[in-house]
Amino acid sequence: MNFTPTVIELILHSLVGVALLGAITHQLVSIYRKPRPRGPGFYDRYTGVNQQVFVVAVVALFAVEVLLGGIVYPAYRIDVRIPFEEMALFSAVGSFESKEHFAGIGFALLPLYYWLWRPENADSHRRDRIGITSVLAFIVWWDFLIGHILNNIRGLS
Amino acid sequence: MKLPFSAVTFSIVFCVAYAAIYWFNQPLFLYYPMTGAFTWGSAALKDSGPGMAWYGLMANALIASFVLALAVPDRVSGRIFRNYLWVFPVGTMLICAYLLRNFFLQG
Repeated sequence: MNFTPTVIELILHSLVGVALLGAITHQLVSIYRKPRPRGPGFYDRYTGVNQQVFVVAVVALFAVEVLLGGIVYPAYRIDVRIPFEEMALFSAVGSFESKEHFAGIGFALLPLYYWLWRPENADSHRRDRIGITSVLAFIVWWDFLIGHILNNIRGLS
Repeated sequence: MKLPFSAVTFSIVFCVAYAAIYWFNQPLFLYYPMTGAFTWGSAALKDSGPGMAWYGLMANALIASFVLALAVPDRVSGRIFRNYLWVFPVGTMLICAYLLRNFFLQG
């Protein structure tokens, strides 16, 4: 395998994706945790975090992730999508299309996500904060899994 | 001077605009990765390989949402759509999924 700029960008794209997945999942699970006394177990320790501290990390990682995805996207269009179409793997093409659209929507949700997590909006927009964080987490998981599957189909060659 | 940018309006308008722009296939421009060419609108360029619409879809929706985010403050859009802000991205994602259905129906 040659470590071309595209391959390096794709590996960076996946590594940032892993970090983003971890951050937003940690925050989301913590949101849904029922308020009760914290025990010494893994679940209680995993969810027993300050949810606020994840906001800047999620915004930064998501923005970098979309930027990296936008950079490698032309290489996908030529080197991956055309072979997919030749192999009649239209569901794979459609899956990638959903990934790009959802990523764009998630990118545009970042200002709202940041605003909803500001302390002054904590009481008035609790339901929105849970909803938008859940949507962002869904997008991150969906895009990560689709990217992983497509990479398994086509590989880096 | 600080711009009166509304995060709530920005994200709501982006979702609505993106769904409409994608539905009517109105990207601001197309990009052709084989030649590096750009064309305005959705008209395809001959002999330049496949065109990419996503950058143009994003650009169009971002322009619309940025303009309206300067006009409608958070206190207005945040109050009107309170508790229902999540409906906008979910609706847009469902519309995108609907528009992509043919990829999955081709087998």
